Amino acid sequence: MDIPWSLAIITADSSLLNKLKSLIRKSLPSVTITYFDSENAFFTANQEEKSDVVLSDQRHLLSGWKPFLEEINDHDNDTFIVFLVDECSGGKIVEMMKEGAYDILTPVTLNRILTVLQRIPGEKEERDRLRFLANEKTFGDHIANNSRSMLSIINKEYVYEKVNATFCTAHTINTEGIVGKSLYEIWGRETFESKIKQNIDLCFQGNIVRYEANFNTPLFGNRFFEVVFRPIRKGDGPVTHLLAETFDITELKHSQKIVNDMEEEFKRLETNLPIGFLRCDTNGIIIHANRAFLKIMECEEEALIAGLGIQEFYVEKGLFEIHRSQLLFSAVKTFGRVALYTCIGNEIACRVSAFIVSDESGNPSFIDFAFEDSSRELMLENRLLQAQKLETIGALAGGLAHDFNNVMATIFGYSELLMEELPPSSPLLESVTRIQSAVEKAKSITDQILTFSRQVDQEKIPVSIDTILNETIGFVRSGLKENITIDSEILNPGLLINADPTQLFRVFLNLFSNAVQAIGDNTGAISVKLFVVNASIARYDLNKDIVADEYIVVSIEDTGEGMEESVMERIFEPYYTTRETGKGTGLGLSVVHGIIAELDGAILVTSNKNVGSKFTVYLPVLSGMDLNTGNIGKGRKLLFITGNRYESKILSLALENSGYKIIYVSDLNGFIKTLSNNDDHPDLVIYMEDSEEISHADLINIYSAIKIEIPIILISDRNQLQAAEKIINLGYVKQRLTKPVSLKEIHNAIQLSLT
Amino acid sequence: MACILLVEDDHDLREMLRTSLVKRKYIVSEASNGKEALLRFKPSMTDLVITDLIMPDEDGLKVIMKIKEIKPGIKIIAISGGGKAGPGNYLDLAKILGADEIFSKPFSINDLMRKIEVMLSPE
Repeated sequence: MDIPWSLAIITADSSLLNKLKSLIRKSLPSVTITYFDSENAFFTANQEEKSDVVLSDQRHLLSGWKPFLEEINDHDNDTFIVFLVDECSGGKIVEMMKEGAYDILTPVTLNRILTVLQRIPGEKEERDRLRFLANEKTFGDHIANNSRSMLSIINKEYVYEKVNATFCTAHTINTEGIVGKSLYEIWGRETFESKIKQNIDLCFQGNIVRYEANFNTPLFGNRFFEVVFRPIRKGDGPVTHLLAETFDITELKHSQKIVNDMEEEFKRLETNLPIGFLRCDTNGIIIHANRAFLKIMECEEEALIAGLGIQEFYVEKGLFEIHRSQLLFSAVKTFGRVALYTCIGNEIACRVSAFIVSDESGNPSFIDFAFEDSSRELMLENRLLQAQKLETIGALAGGLAHDFNNVMATIFGYSELLMEELPPSSPLLESVTRIQSAVEKAKSITDQILTFSRQVDQEKIPVSIDTILNETIGFVRSGLKENITIDSEILNPGLLINADPTQLFRVFLNLFSNAVQAIGDNTGAISVKLFVVNASIARYDLNKDIVADEYIVVSIEDTGEGMEESVMERIFEPYYTTRETGKGTGLGLSVVHGIIAELDGAILVTSNKNVGSKFTVYLPVLSGMDLNTGNIGKGRKLLFITGNRYESKILSLALENSGYKIIYVSDLNGFIKTLSNNDDHPDLVIYMEDSEEISHADLINIYSAIKIEIPIILISDRNQLQAAEKIINLGYVKQRLTKPVSLKEIHNAIQLSLT
Repeated sequence: MACILLVEDDHDLREMLRTSLVKRKYIVSEASNGKEALLRFKPSMTDLVITDLIMPDEDGLKVIMKIKEIKPGIKIIAISGGGKAGPGNYLDLAKILGADEIFSKPFSINDLMRKIEVMLSPE
């Protein structure tokens, strides 16, 4: 009696009322009671809220039972009316029941009232059900018309004999518009022939036919249906009709498709995931591997490893057993780096994690592994180790070079003192000169070491890197024998980096000379490429903090002898050389490394023995600047009388970058021609004293002969200091520099000379 | 005769420089580090200071600053062999702090002597 219902009691008998109230409260606690002393009071309240049951004491109905029932029935058929009657004839009871009373209790006892009231909820339910059934003409029609399926009865002539409401709705025609029509009129001949006829024929042979197909209905458009044809026959006779049931399964299909797509997607993910996925049984026998795993293991197809034990691929025997027992203990486990043999026997390192897959009852059934190839990680760790090593060596070498310079200064000084003491004819003078040239050589070595250890300040200016690269290529090409060709591909010309052009030239020159030496006397090629990468690519390639939005990449690749990996790892260390003694100092690449590191760049090397090597230089691009910002030269012409071509080349490169126009002369004729040409008069002459073609005397003679007054900057070698005095006496030498000349020095000297 | 204060921590190099200077008739007082240099520096007597830059105790840069403070007109030559902080940096700093000339080791003693002669000659 849980369903609450309401009870109205009409009586003026307060003792009866009180008894009833306490009885109902005790036995039917979910019933709410209202009570009235007359039918008028009841009717007033009943307009507001109807009671489910009215218990009416007939003694107190002022207008009698008949008007009372009429009044209630006018408004309401749902109320159960129970009369309490003191004395009553059987005829009257029948009469009252006919008029709609639910029950008449006479004589009135509390027990009887309770029995009736307890019966009410069940009665209520039954009445609702019967009323529902009575409302429909036929129960079958109701079901048929409310079915979500299109239902129809079809005869042997393919004509519709009966259709339900759903069918009509879908075709937006009423029943009359369909019944009597053939299927091909409704569905169209093509659909009928291709999707319906054959199945109907099969059904008329006595079969239940089920199939899925898409059909076009006017209301719903193209949808997917499940169609069932059921044969109808009379008794044991032949099939005369069939019942067609067509159920829209588009949504179902759709969700099935989603599930399939998801499965497909997951499969694709699992296949293409860059992580090697492997499923083994609990003994390590391989059941399934994805593509990434096969790739890591250098295996061509899954079938080759399926059925093998994963432990066979472990380099360390017994390690798998340890892993296995750890897994059985804790279900998920990351094992870190594990050494494995690939299918073709190479040793690799993989980061391995695994977990246990258990069946429904919790027993382990599979081990699923994830393998990540950690060779890049290893490579990066190795690279870091190398870099730290270079850093340490650099610090050591730099300190050493510093102390060494003190010693050199002492030796050089004493040799000069000695020279002063010796008479000009002394045979010992030659020996002293040799001591001095040895010190010069030592100085160039300490300079290189200091560059490697990044203790030389580079004078950085915006430099167009392809200009320097092209100049270097031209310079190298001119000295090459026919066996080597150089081709270059500059994909992004005109980009600037912040660098010391002299040092940059040194970098490229070293890399080229390295390539040339690697090729040796064989026929070979050097290919140079310059292009730009964005910060994220640079970050990936270099695995270090990135300082610019873009990086210039210059790669210099040769077809030379190549290197073993062990050589490659140490190639930037000072004095690490594989060449015979005397062929190179073993400092070239160390210097390159130092210069590039100082420019916030990086250099990478890859090499294959007997195939060739490739050095790749990354340098941060200077953005938002162009060459003009470095235009302190304002197009003024500098005439270079060159001695050692290499030195003047790098100086002139730097100066060109700063906006000077460089005129080069290396012989007397060129010099005279340039000076005689009034249009091309230089603003300044830079004379390198070691010029073999134009001697000091030549310079003095020409100045006197042509009567020019162009200022001169003299660049001397240390041991030639006295020799230049005659030139100085000319009066045009504004500045005198001693080799090696730094960029800052020459800039200052030029500016001082021109003002 | 001009008086020169020579500050250099490398004994051999200092000895070599002293020999050269004495030979050219300069009066030389020596110091092997910055602290000593400031003790030996006599404003009324010293005409020129040659100082190394990287030295134990007070380094050469401090020597240059303090001496220029005491006697602004004094001539100073800084010499350095490069190393720890980068020779370029050190010598440039020396110039900014008041060194009149800078020499990077190893240098030509003749160049140095010529420079001293020019610096000490009356303008």
